Amino acid sequence: MSPKLERIIYITIITVLSLMLISYGKKEIELQKQIPLTVDQLYKKLSNPKVSIQIIDVRPYEIPEEEEDEAEEIDYYTGAHIPGAIPFPDCDESKTPEEALEQINPYLPTVIVSKDGNPEIFKKCAEKFSVVQNLAGGITAWDEEGYPEDEGEYEPPRAGGGGGCL
Amino acid sequence: MSIIERVLFWIAILILSVAVVGLKTDLSELEQKAKEISSYTVSSDDEGGEEE
Repeated sequence: MSPKLERIIYITIITVLSLMLISYGKKEIELQKQIPLTVDQLYKKLSNPKVSIQIIDVRPYEIPEEEEDEAEEIDYYTGAHIPGAIPFPDCDESKTPEEALEQINPYLPTVIVSKDGNPEIFKKCAEKFSVVQNLAGGITAWDEEGYPEDEGEYEPPRAGGGGGCL
Repeated sequence: MSIIERVLFWIAILILSVAVVGLKTDLSELEQKAKEISSYTVSSDDEGGEEE
């Protein structure tokens, strides 16, 4: 066999394998969107400093004063949120605080947190992120499990990066 | 074609093959999970429909 032909065969095999890898990778990302993350899995991920993950909270940022008495703390971001979560109400830039908007990175692995893990809101937001999963049960499930929560206004991290942390 | 070049090609093919097999296994597991979740969602929707 001539060296030129041998080289072409090797390169063809490597190209085919690379294309398979890319297509499987894309398929994996699509499948992950369909599988919600449980609160236990999210807690484990956040506890591991090696895992870089972004938590996007799509609940209303704050509740108007007149509705404050009726609303529960988990109804809005400033009432209770997962530590490090970035507010992005309804995935609408116009409703998002400016300092939070600057921290949102569409290319980081992202977990969408709504009040109860509503798949409709997740579908709407999933289009804005490349690798994204829904939090099953939303903040309600997180609250029921008794995992740590923060309250109050959003404070951007001092040393860059937009991920959640515990 | 030198032996070194041939060995490098084979190493690349081996690494890519292992990655493809690993990813395929992950994909099968994910597909299984996705099926379970979709069937669970469909059945819970049906139950909801019956209640109405």
